[in-house]
Formats: sequence, structure tokens, C-alpha cells
Amino acid sequence: MLKSLIVNIAYWINTSRRYAKVKSFFYNLLENSNYKYKKYFDICMITLIFISVVILVREVKSHVDDYLLYFNNYIISIIFLIEYLLRLWVSSSISKVIIEDSEYDAMIGEQFRISKSLKKIVTTKLRYMLSFKAIIDLLAIIPFFHQLRLLRIFILFRVFKLFRYAKSIQTFTSVIAAKKFEFLTLLIFASIIVFVSSVLIYVMEANRADSPIDTLYEAVYWSIVTISTVGYGDITPSTEAGRMVAMAVIVAGIAVFSFTTSLIVTAFTEKLDEIKDTKLIDDVAKMKEFYLICGYESVSKEVAKKLTIKNKVIILEESKEKAELAKKDGFFVLNYDPGSIDSYKKLRIDIGTQVKAILCLGLSDVENVYTSLTVRSFNKDVYILSILKNKTNKNKLISAGVNEVFYEKELVGIIAKEFSGQPVAFEAIHSLRSNFNGIDMQELVVSERILGNFTNVGQLQNNKYKIVLLGVYNKIEKKFLFNPTDSTELELGDYLLIIGNIQYIQEFTNFLNKKGSK
Amino acid sequence: MQNNALIFGQNEYTLEIEKNIASNYNDIHVFKLNGDDEFSFDLSDDWDHLKEVVNIDECIAFCILEDMAENIFLTLSLRDTFKDLIIVALAADKESADKLTLAGASRVIPTTLTTANVIVEMLEKPIVTEVLHGILYEKSDLKISQIEVGDNDCFEGKYPSDIQWSREHGIIVISIVHEDMSTEFVYSSKAQHHVIKKGDIFVVVGYEKDIKEFEKLIGSECG
Repeated sequence: MLKSLIVNIAYWINTSRRYAKVKSFFYNLLENSNYKYKKYFDICMITLIFISVVILVREVKSHVDDYLLYFNNYIISIIFLIEYLLRLWVSSSISKVIIEDSEYDAMIGEQFRISKSLKKIVTTKLRYMLSFKAIIDLLAIIPFFHQLRLLRIFILFRVFKLFRYAKSIQTFTSVIAAKKFEFLTLLIFASIIVFVSSVLIYVMEANRADSPIDTLYEAVYWSIVTISTVGYGDITPSTEAGRMVAMAVIVAGIAVFSFTTSLIVTAFTEKLDEIKDTKLIDDVAKMKEFYLICGYESVSKEVAKKLTIKNKVIILEESKEKAELAKKDGFFVLNYDPGSIDSYKKLRIDIGTQVKAILCLGLSDVENVYTSLTVRSFNKDVYILSILKNKTNKNKLISAGVNEVFYEKELVGIIAKEFSGQPVAFEAIHSLRSNFNGIDMQELVVSERILGNFTNVGQLQNNKYKIVLLGVYNKIEKKFLFNPTDSTELELGDYLLIIGNIQYIQEFTNFLNKKGSK
Repeated sequence: MQNNALIFGQNEYTLEIEKNIASNYNDIHVFKLNGDDEFSFDLSDDWDHLKEVVNIDECIAFCILEDMAENIFLTLSLRDTFKDLIIVALAADKESADKLTLAGASRVIPTTLTTANVIVEMLEKPIVTEVLHGILYEKSDLKISQIEVGDNDCFEGKYPSDIQWSREHGIIVISIVHEDMSTEFVYSSKAQHHVIKKGDIFVVVGYEKDIKEFEKLIGSECG
């Protein structure tokens, strides 16, 4: 009866959307560094930690108001306690263990044993509770029992909680952890030197009246102060033999010090690329809308240069040399293969929401077909534009899901025609397109606001702003109405194609959007 | 007047250029670098053979060798021999484009830059690109045309802003090219203060019928 009730509750919890939503919220807030609100939570917690420490320091020699002590001892401690319990809650799922065990037992035809599940749950939770970070969290709550004066010092454990919130500290510890074996070797070496030298100095100096070393503790203290190259000078050997030991310890100390420094530097150098990569991935995850250029070639460089004026652009390039080149050119480049699904997973790029368009500008059609197919395998909607190198491959690119295929040679042919046919007209349009002399051609969408002010073309007064209205484009019907008459009615979502000086265009746009312009 | 086109270089660009300019010229000759028939050339300065094959005064030359160093050398060589020849040359990048201009090319098509420009336009101004391509590349009924003001007194003493081009003639004047070949946007202050006179060229957009009528109007006597 009890077992069945527990299993039912476990199923209910596991299928409850509300429960999942709440748990996921707290998980993201506490553990997911990519969650946008986590940094605010972390800042709050860091502030609480510093308040605690400031109160502790002030309390040593001055009077601290009771309400501050109350805040420090109860409010902050309770907040940390709640945080600790929440972390314990999200660290693993109890209901999942119960369901898995009950289903397994049912499958092998045995009765569900609650004790087995309980053992698993306790083990998992204990494993979390005994982790370094969880212990620090627990010690940080202890000042709650402030009546025990000794426990007040535990406030300092709150400082260790900074490990949780400051990412740079986490990076530092991970770098040091990577050289665990080397540091352990160094520690053993230093410990042996300290042990041997302490015993030696004790044996040689302890019985002498003029020696400041009387106890083994003093000998160990002297040894550590000397090996660390600090050398306070409060305890110094007085015998010849003791000075010999001191010299040996000093030499060993320099070795230990330089070995430690080189270890830390090496660890950072080795991890530097990884650290930079992690930072880049984090930056990408934060980006809202960007163009993704796959492949860094001469066209990519020009396209990226123009797109970056108004947009964010990310370049994916598999070759390290080309990626370096793109970096030198000042672009945001990631040295990942654009034709691999794994790259997008590692980079945590959400194509659907983050990417405006994907541009396959690789050196060969094979590369571009492959990239396009890769993207299409997990996203059907994103706009893909690809450059075509060999005309015979056009259909392959279209079959791979490319929305727009661009054949550079065809463009050159058309330009050659215009050059030889109507060079002046072509030049005029070309200068318009390249925004020459400040004249530009722009598309202006008829918004609800504009439509509220103007209902037909005659009311627009474009002549007043020295703007040429080339026509109105209806995106739904894909129809362009050239040189519309004054009575032409405007519709929501229409595009006005206008030519004019950029500043006049800006003024004209402001005029159209200004309420009551008509 | 150029009746013949000479294309120097045989590659994928050749096919596209040949296909597109076919209607503009009587004859198109494609010359292959270091070939062994009469339509071949080398990078020496000996163009006697070319003079025998075509009348160079009636030609426009397209230099489209994919190796930029060779293309620049070819342009230089052609310009050295034929001072008045119109040379259109392909450039891979800005650097080659500048060198080709220095070498004497009349017009340079920077392929990479043009490709990049069009790609960016397609992304940033899809509607403008669609309409412009329709007009420029004759995919729609709209045409762009250059019309020279002829011997008539129809616009004498008038300024571009005095005339309701779009309402009266059904065409849109985009820019005016003055005698000194400087192009001005129709609403620029310079164009606004310029009295229309013979020899000015209007760049207009409109339907073929309207353009022809307008051409008749400004190219001849007023109707």
C-alpha cells in the first residue's frame, strides 16, 4: 500500500509540468551559467557574502547595531540555508530513481523494494553533500548558531562561497586541478624537505642555550618560513651545522618556488586556448541575432566587412590558418567545421532563434552542399544562401536545401552586357547601389503607424523631401507597382521603394512615423 | 560604334559574357591564351595577327584571364598598342582593380567586391534587390534607359524640378548626366540648379512604351 502510494507520487511528480518548470527554473538559476538571470542571482549572493564579512570585521573592535547582527546571523544565514536546500533538491531527482527502480523490478518480475531506492537516493544526495562546494555551503550557514562564539569565525567560510559565483575563480581552480599530479609531487618534495630540515635543526639546536629553537614546533615553523623564501628572521640558527641546514633549505626553497611558478604558468598556457574557446562560446550563446558565414574566402571577407556595419556576424572556418587570418582581419571567428552537427552543438547555437541567415561561402560546391545539408538536417526554416562555383552543381545545392543560389559568373556576364549596352544607366544604378554621393535606395515597410497617418500615395509628400518614390511592393502578392498614382491605396506590410539622400530619407521616415503628420 | 566584341581568355566567365552580350554585337571573337589556331594570343606585344582578323576600331575588348598578373599584362599590352580601344577587364580584388585601371582598362569589374555587394543587398534589402534586378537584368517589363536630350526647345530654360516627369510622362528620372559626364541624382542641389540643355543624358526607369515616347519627345521636337 505504502509502496504503491510512493510510486504513484513519484509518477505524479515526474509528469507534473508545473513541478518540472519550477525545478528547471531553480536549476538554471543555481547551476546553469548560461541562464540569463543567473548573473543577477550571483551578484546578490556575492553582495551578501561581503556584507557578512564587513560586519564580522567591524564587530571585532566596534559596536555593531543589533539589527545588522540580526540581519547577518539570521536573514543571511536563512537565505544561504534556502540556497543549500535548493541546491540539494536540484542535484538529483528522487522521483526518477523510484520510477526507474519500480519499472526495473516490474520488468524482472520482482516486488518493488523501497529500501533499495532509498539507499540509492541517500547515496546520491550524500555524494552531493560531501562535495567540496556543498561542504562550504553548509559551513557558511553555521554562523546562524551565533551563540556559539567560536562558530562566528565560520562566516569566513562564506568567502569560500565566492568559488560558486565568480567564474574566474572557477577557471583558476580548474587550471590548477589540471596539474594535480605535478602539484602533489611538489607538495611531497616540499614536505620531505620541511620534515628533514625541522628534525635536523631541532636535533642540532634544541639543546643549546643561545638558540631560539626550543621545541619541534618552532623547528617546523622556522623550516616552513625559510623554505617559502619568506624568512622573517625571528628564529635563526646559531650553530654552524644549523646554518648549513638553513642554506640547504634556502636552495630547496628557491627550487620549490620556481617550480610552483612555472607549473602555474604552464597550466595556464596549456589551458589558454580552452579558456578562450569557452569565453567565445559563452559570447555566442549571448548573441541575439547574427549572420553565420561558413567558410572564410575572399568573398566571405568582403561580405563580412559589409554586414558587420549594421549586424553581428560570426564566421565558422575549419582551417586553423584561415580562422587566424579572419581573426587578424578583425572578425568574430570560430575555428569549427561548419559541416559538422557537433560544431553547432558545442557552440550551443540555436539556429532557429539566433541566426538571421546562413551564408555558405566555401571554396567548393562540395563544401557548401555538405554544410547546407548539415544545417537542414536539424533546421528546416533558416534562410540559406550559397555561392555557386560550377553551374552544373546548381541543382545539387537546391536539393541540399539552399534557398538562394548565387552564381558569380552569371552576374559578371550580366554586368558585361549592361556595360556594353547602357553604360551610363548602369553606372547610375551602380552608384545608387553603392551609396555613392550619399544617395541610397531603400525599402520602407508600411507599418500600422504609417498607415494610421497616410492611406494613399498622394499623401506621402515625398517630393517635399526630395525623395523619388520608385514604386510600392506588395510582399504577399509579390507584385511591384511602378510609379503609383496619387490615389493608390497603401496596405499594411507594403514596401515603399524610395531613392534619395540618406539624410532626407531619414527625415522622410521620421515624418511618416510622426503621429498626425498628415 | 563598336560592332564586334573580343573576349580574351577561355573560361566559365567567357560563356556567360558571350551569352549575355550576343544581342549587342554583330560578331564575338573568343581568343585563347597560347592556343594554336587563328583565335589565339600570347602575352607578347605582337598584335599584328589580331589586326588581320578584326577591325580593331569597331571592337570592344573583354580581358577575363583568371590569373590576375596575366590579365593586367594583357590589358597593358592591348592599351599600349590600341590607344582608343574600349577595354573591360575582370579583377579578382580591389588591388587588381586598381592595377588594371593603371594598366589602361576603360572599365573594371571587380568580381569579389561585386559578388559581395550583391549578396549583402540580397540579405539587407531583398525587395530593392529584387526590383533592381528585374529592371537591370530585364526580368520584368520595367526597363532602365539612358536618353540624350536632342535638338528641341521643349525643356529649354527649364530645371529638372519644374517638370512632373512621373505624372506627365509615366517614367521616373533617376539621374542626369551632364556634358562633362558627371552623374547627378535628380534631386541633388546641383541637378536642381542645372538648366536642361542639349547633350544632357537622362537615366530613366519606366515601361518600354513610355520610355520610347519620352525618347521621341526629348530626342526630337516637342509633341
